[in-house]
Amino acid sequence: MTSASTAIDAGTVQAPPARKSIASSVRGWPSQHARSIVVALLLPLVLSPFLWLVQLAFRPAADIFDERLLFVPTLDGFASLLQGNFLKSFWNSLLVSTLSTAFSLVIGVPAAYALTRWNFKGRHRIALWILVTRMAPPIAFTIPFFLAYQFLGLQDTVIGLAIVYLTFNLAIVIWLMQTFFEAVPAALEEAAWIDGCGVWQAFWRVALPLTAPGLAATAVLCFIFSWNDFFYALILTRTNAITAPVAIVNFLQYEGWEWTKIAASGTLVMLPVVVFTVLVRKYLVRGLTAGSVKD
Amino acid sequence: MTHPSHPVPERRRLLQAAAALGAGALLPGLAAAQGGAKKFAGVTLNVSTFSAAYPKLLQQWLPEFEAATGAKVNFDAPSFPVYNQRADLELSTRGSAYDVVNVTFIYSSRWINSGWLTPLDDFIRNPNLTPADWDINDFLPGARAPETGRDGKLYGVPWTAEALLTASSRFDLVEKAGLAFPDTTDDLVKVLRAVNKKERVAGFVADNHYGWTFVPYLHAFGGDVFRKAPDDLFPTLDTPEAIAAGEYYANLLKEFGPDGAITYQPDQVTQALKLGRVNFTDAGQLHLAQLGDPATSKTIKTVKFGLVPKGPAGRFPGTAVHGLGIPAGSKNKEAAWAFIQWALSKQTTGRAVAAGYGSPARRSDIESAVFRDKQVINGSDLAKLSLESIELAAKTGHMKYRTVAVYPQVDQQLNKAIELIASGQLSAKQAFQQAQANTIAELKRAGARL
Amino acid sequence: MAHALSADGWQAERRRAFLLGLSPSLAVLLLITLVPAAALVIASFTPLSLTDPAATFRFDDPLVNYRQLLHDDRFLHSIAVQLKLSASSVLLQLGVGLGLALLLNGKSRLLDGARTAFLIPMVLPPIVVALIWKIMYTPDVSPIHRALEAAGWPLRSLIADPDTALWAISLADTWQWFPFTMLMVLASLQMIPDEPIEAATLEGANRWQLLRHIVFPYIRPVLVVCGLFRLIDSFKAFPLIYVLTNGGPGSVTEVTNYYGFIQAFNFSYWGYASAIATVLLAGVFALSWAVGKLGWSDHDKR
Repeated sequence: MTSASTAIDAGTVQAPPARKSIASSVRGWPSQHARSIVVALLLPLVLSPFLWLVQLAFRPAADIFDERLLFVPTLDGFASLLQGNFLKSFWNSLLVSTLSTAFSLVIGVPAAYALTRWNFKGRHRIALWILVTRMAPPIAFTIPFFLAYQFLGLQDTVIGLAIVYLTFNLAIVIWLMQTFFEAVPAALEEAAWIDGCGVWQAFWRVALPLTAPGLAATAVLCFIFSWNDFFYALILTRTNAITAPVAIVNFLQYEGWEWTKIAASGTLVMLPVVVFTVLVRKYLVRGLTAGSVKD
Repeated sequence: MTHPSHPVPERRRLLQAAAALGAGALLPGLAAAQGGAKKFAGVTLNVSTFSAAYPKLLQQWLPEFEAATGAKVNFDAPSFPVYNQRADLELSTRGSAYDVVNVTFIYSSRWINSGWLTPLDDFIRNPNLTPADWDINDFLPGARAPETGRDGKLYGVPWTAEALLTASSRFDLVEKAGLAFPDTTDDLVKVLRAVNKKERVAGFVADNHYGWTFVPYLHAFGGDVFRKAPDDLFPTLDTPEAIAAGEYYANLLKEFGPDGAITYQPDQVTQALKLGRVNFTDAGQLHLAQLGDPATSKTIKTVKFGLVPKGPAGRFPGTAVHGLGIPAGSKNKEAAWAFIQWALSKQTTGRAVAAGYGSPARRSDIESAVFRDKQVINGSDLAKLSLESIELAAKTGHMKYRTVAVYPQVDQQLNKAIELIASGQLSAKQAFQQAQANTIAELKRAGARL
Repeated sequence: MAHALSADGWQAERRRAFLLGLSPSLAVLLLITLVPAAALVIASFTPLSLTDPAATFRFDDPLVNYRQLLHDDRFLHSIAVQLKLSASSVLLQLGVGLGLALLLNGKSRLLDGARTAFLIPMVLPPIVVALIWKIMYTPDVSPIHRALEAAGWPLRSLIADPDTALWAISLADTWQWFPFTMLMVLASLQMIPDEPIEAATLEGANRWQLLRHIVFPYIRPVLVVCGLFRLIDSFKAFPLIYVLTNGGPGSVTEVTNYYGFIQAFNFSYWGYASAIATVLLAGVFALSWAVGKLGWSDHDKR
């Protein structure tokens, strides 16, 4: 693989190593700084809706309809979330996302390894299958799952939701880990085999540790996708397993939209995801295009 | 009860006992007996209704119920459309996620007659579960009727019996224009023309559940939803009367409505009137009573209420009843009944009325002095107006359209039709003809015989 | 572990080991994707409705739902709405993403930070994005509406007006997903080889000519894959519509996915909703196949 394709393999969005950007190769100083100015102006503009939500969370409730831009920040919005269901739903989200990630990894990583090391035809078909499961509209699966869960008693349970999330997470894990395993030269494992290791011992001792960063990134991506889900949780949970995104909808009440609560809960719900994203931004492209582009 | 290794201070024990005793007074038969074991210790009850004034009060008083029975109660109260969708889904699969649900008025026939709820007569008759003075007959017969199934059994105990009334939040503007409270549909338009946009107050708005707020006008113009509910379910949405009513009503919203009028939910309407941003609306006392709350209502001094306008065919105020029921799949039916019995006992409903609750379903509450006093807001007697409306409805029977199991689907068609006309996408004739065609298709799909 | 006795035995043991690792995944995937999909298609052949499940689970007229679909104006309209929404938002996303990628393709700490910051809309939980735009589009609390009103250009509610409701959703959707295109184009821009650019610069080409003749042809395949990817994903649009418009005003923003949701979960017409979902699934399958083909063949070209 050329160095250029390694760059896209890592899905990196960092600056190119030693080449000049197109602009600076044509003109000099003015163009470079014009660009920075434009970016500095665009950034807050484009992110302003998001920033508005966050600042709304810190406003005193009475001031929501106020014209003033400045206000005395208060944590009342967040404090009001302590009563009611919200904390429980936040905890449920954590639980479901962690479980779902764990399931997907345990089942999917060995499969990815097997697919990488074992040359067999039909890889294209598996890729298509993975793509479709990731792309399918949730409604196609919720109807059968809802009925099945009623029958099995898994309705409104954390486990039930974690299993449903396998429909998209397993595909992501298999696809991503495949690319990471491909980057590990087979020679190392073959050496281990010669030394008498079994296939899975070699996997555990040699291949897996070498893909540790990729594994971590995959886990984080699974977590993010599980955390963000809305539709499955809306249909398949009631009170026990309700997750944070669905709990927010409860604040759109009959008696009055509690904007501060909405803003505060929205801010809390997106916090883990934003933090994690910064950590794995190198691998985001790969995670989001799973199934389509062969690396 | 105290833990042997953690002695609780005397005072706290006394308070606990007092709370239990107090709540126990509301739950005779459940008060500490047989060595003090609480009847439903360890039981978790899942209660769900939509968010409204009465459930809000119940949520505040929950700890007393929990202290008396030992049960833990999860009270879930999302917004109206979200609640209905979730409850319908849960009931349709006979799930056990909820033990007590709200029997919403437009869904009551659908839920009851599909066998998704538990009949309550045995619970009511059982002296061990229900004290003698709880008195089911104290609830208005007109309120119990929608909660009764075709088999004659009662499936829900009503917590609200309300009627649509017209309210004006800035009646002073009407008086300034030299006009009186509108009595007929023509009057209404005249008044609105005179006061619209005066002092930046929009003329009229209604909550966008038009299957509820529009129907009085449909009837007033001589139209109806079905040919003769509940026997003849052929819809009559494309009659000239219906089209005329639709055009009239959508015009109210188009000409006199605030920006985004067709997106207004009930709480927004109440808020708009409280703040004096919009003048007229039609709503039930469940919401209108809030206009009399001195803490939050800025228009308490200028508000006035009246009956819904009379049209060429008469006056047909809409009435609605919501009740508490037990899903067929619930696993804690006795505990669920204990909750319902507590929530709708004379003491609890009386307490709610004293706290300003505006639409009780018990005759004893409606006739009580406390209620009548609280419901006189700025000279208008809300209680008298709503009783008048309820009695009118019982006489003419014009609410029968709601007792049809397939009404929710038709309800949605009415919502869309008014939305389409008010947003200028279709003419009244086109919108209602489309609603008629879609309704026939939906009814056929639901297996109704036309 | 056992020492290999012969090459064949060793191969067979390896194959067994791999199969062992692969089978749980295959079994699970089968169980949770193919089985439900099959159940969905079967249900779509019945008039299953939960008000009377026993009576309605019958196969006497398997195509009844599909026939009704063909005559159902609301369904056909929902497809038109879906196509409109998908086309407008995908094109906007491609445009904005491309523009920002070109702008941010450079080396500096500011640009590096900007590249990360611009990712935020894409990774927010979709429900939070819906809430953000609910605030933006509600005249009472929206800073946009208030600012415009203060500047003397009062704007009526965008989501209550049938002419603008779909565009409002399109805009919110673009805001949420432009980082996707931006990321992919950025990654692709970094792979453009130096030589053609330097050669053209030496010959005096200006920036615009460079863009047109070298850069665009290079990133066009990425744009196509991106566009198709976003197109398929756009069929899943739900939280935005659920929170902002509920499919209204009228049915102006009622996409097929949402219509299926209403039929299934508001009225429990599960047979009919299964038919709608099957149609959607078939469409997704066809488009995914196209994406897969393009993605794979593209690599082979390079």
